[in-house]
Amino acid sequence: MARLWLRLCRAVTLVTDTDLPVGPTCAIMPTTRTILWTTTLLSAFVFLGMSVDSLHKMGARTHADQISAQVVEGKRLWQHYDCNDCHTILGIGGYYAPDVTKSYEIRGDAWLRQFLREPGKMYSTGRQMPNFHLTDAQVGSLVAYLQWVSAVDTNGWPPAPEGVAREQSPGTKIFLAQHCNTCHSIQGSGGTLAPDLTHEGSRQTKDWILVQINDPRSHKPDSIMPSFKQLPDSDKVELADYLASLK
Amino acid sequence: MRYKSQKVAREYLLAALPLFLLQVIFGILGSIKYIWGYDPLLNIIPFNVARAIHINLLVFWLLLALMGATYYMVAEEIKTEIYSVKLARLQLAILLASGVTAIVGYLFQWSFGLPFLEQPTVIKLAIVVAALIFLANVALTMFTNHHTLTRTSATLLGGMVMLSVMFLFGIPFVPNLSTQYYFWWWVIHLWVEGAWELIAASLVGWALIKMTGVSRQRIEGWVFAEVCLVLLTGIIGTGHHYYWIGTPHYWLWWGAIFSAAEPIPIMMMLVDTVRYMLKARTLSIVNTLGLAWLGASAFVHFMGAGVWGFGQTLPQINRWTHGTQITASHGHFAFWGAYGMLAIALMYIILPEISGHRTEQGSKLGFIAFVSLNFSMIFLVMALLIAGIVQVYLQRIMGMDFLEVQNYLRIWFEVRLVTGCIFFVGTVLVLWDLFRLARPLAAGERAPEPEPVAVPVA
Repeated sequence: MARLWLRLCRAVTLVTDTDLPVGPTCAIMPTTRTILWTTTLLSAFVFLGMSVDSLHKMGARTHADQISAQVVEGKRLWQHYDCNDCHTILGIGGYYAPDVTKSYEIRGDAWLRQFLREPGKMYSTGRQMPNFHLTDAQVGSLVAYLQWVSAVDTNGWPPAPEGVAREQSPGTKIFLAQHCNTCHSIQGSGGTLAPDLTHEGSRQTKDWILVQINDPRSHKPDSIMPSFKQLPDSDKVELADYLASLK
Repeated sequence: MRYKSQKVAREYLLAALPLFLLQVIFGILGSIKYIWGYDPLLNIIPFNVARAIHINLLVFWLLLALMGATYYMVAEEIKTEIYSVKLARLQLAILLASGVTAIVGYLFQWSFGLPFLEQPTVIKLAIVVAALIFLANVALTMFTNHHTLTRTSATLLGGMVMLSVMFLFGIPFVPNLSTQYYFWWWVIHLWVEGAWELIAASLVGWALIKMTGVSRQRIEGWVFAEVCLVLLTGIIGTGHHYYWIGTPHYWLWWGAIFSAAEPIPIMMMLVDTVRYMLKARTLSIVNTLGLAWLGASAFVHFMGAGVWGFGQTLPQINRWTHGTQITASHGHFAFWGAYGMLAIALMYIILPEISGHRTEQGSKLGFIAFVSLNFSMIFLVMALLIAGIVQVYLQRIMGMDFLEVQNYLRIWFEVRLVTGCIFFVGTVLVLWDLFRLARPLAAGERAPEPEPVAVPVA
């Protein structure tokens, strides 16, 4: 033990003590060693100071008071299923699947719940997410977690897009912006969870479509389609016009 | 090889090689998934499992190679036997057992779920035990019997201590994701742009002293300057990961300024390596292939980590490129150049010495492997870069949906798969060549033990 202790002392003094024997194969010279340690310790000191300040400020920036037991459970599930090796979150992780930082904002509560229960039905073709057979409570925790993440102050990341992908009618834009195409398909493009809308205009009237957008369960009590009544009235009319034009 | 115990390096290096091959295989599996319309392995090995295995094997084989090289180098630098070969073997056994368990575990969804740190906590603790054994073994080798430390070996020990300490910050589960990532970068960034850079600088310095005949004093002076600059820029440079994760706004300034200076030490490393390598041509016997790997490593290190990293380190650019295929391009280029190529260079330098002082410039097969690995990696990186630029334009600037954009990138993912397959062939060749070099020579075949290079006083 005593020998070990002596060795340890020598090890520590060798890298902190500047009074070393100087020889042809000597260790780091005192002057150069001083520069190295000054630089390193100064950098580390500044970095640690900034870290203390950052971690303090991050409480408010991340709404740490809103991290409920459910949010923590959501994070545990997120890690348990190793979601982060396909998806990025806060831009970090695998680049195989969409970034989920703002997915609660973009997709909304109902969409996320539906998707997490049966991912394969939303996107039936192309890249797939495995079905993890989550319970309702687990889905709730994951959605709570995603809701919490979407409110984190990320200094404006991801930036809002500066252009539009292609010329589209206003109704088409709303159709895509609300991600109707993840469940419905038009001319073979889109999901299969909900009816195909390629010939919707020849089956239903514009008024019927407007009612469906506002309150899907009025037509079919067990419908799983979320209501879009929160959309501005003008958007709903544009969307209904567009769908009614599909003959 | 002057000391018997140095032989233990051979076990580390040869254990690392098959893991490298396996890493490439899982990389190819991942790149096939990028172009498959429907993934038939979705419920057997989904993408996240393939990626976790790919990146874990990367860290795993590099660490084994660097640790093996450390044992070899420290004995030679300190001029003594390694403190305990048994401990070194125990450490290797713990690492292999925990690494293999982790990788098999991923197939059964046993995962901690943080990228690069997916190892479940029990396994992380086993890795900590192995790291402690390693540090103790290296330190006891250095500090027993009043041996004098060289600058390169002191730097190496410093790097290894930093590596082990930083790993601890990746172990706990933190409820706040932003805080979790804050400390996650202490492992990831302070490894690759801190601890691993120190390790690389000292090992490259040692190899250059050994192979070029340039004076120790000059090369160690450069190693020292490199280390100083790495720590000065790299520690606060962590800030370039703190732009968008819930961290305060001032990191946009601090991260940008310090990380923008990070390429400087890497460029110094390139300039000096090439300068000293050119001097080696005056020596009679040259391990050309080993030197080629070393020099190419310095170049690709500079391109991949320095240029590719600088390309998106400023927040004005990073805002658009963060979390896209551009990062994947940078990751592949930097890891290959800075550490993958260095590990192979060290194998080409160390293995022939252990097996009995083969004095060859490098086999034809070895050169074919060198060319095929490096060219395929350059094309792979270019394909990912183009995919990333198209992705930034369509998704981030034009606002197209993620999955729709992925269809437009398909051709570049196909190019990536082809280059990946060529890289696989190169990996097989390099394994073949290195295992051949590692085969111990019979006593009669051995070249005589070389005299230590006389160190000219500068």
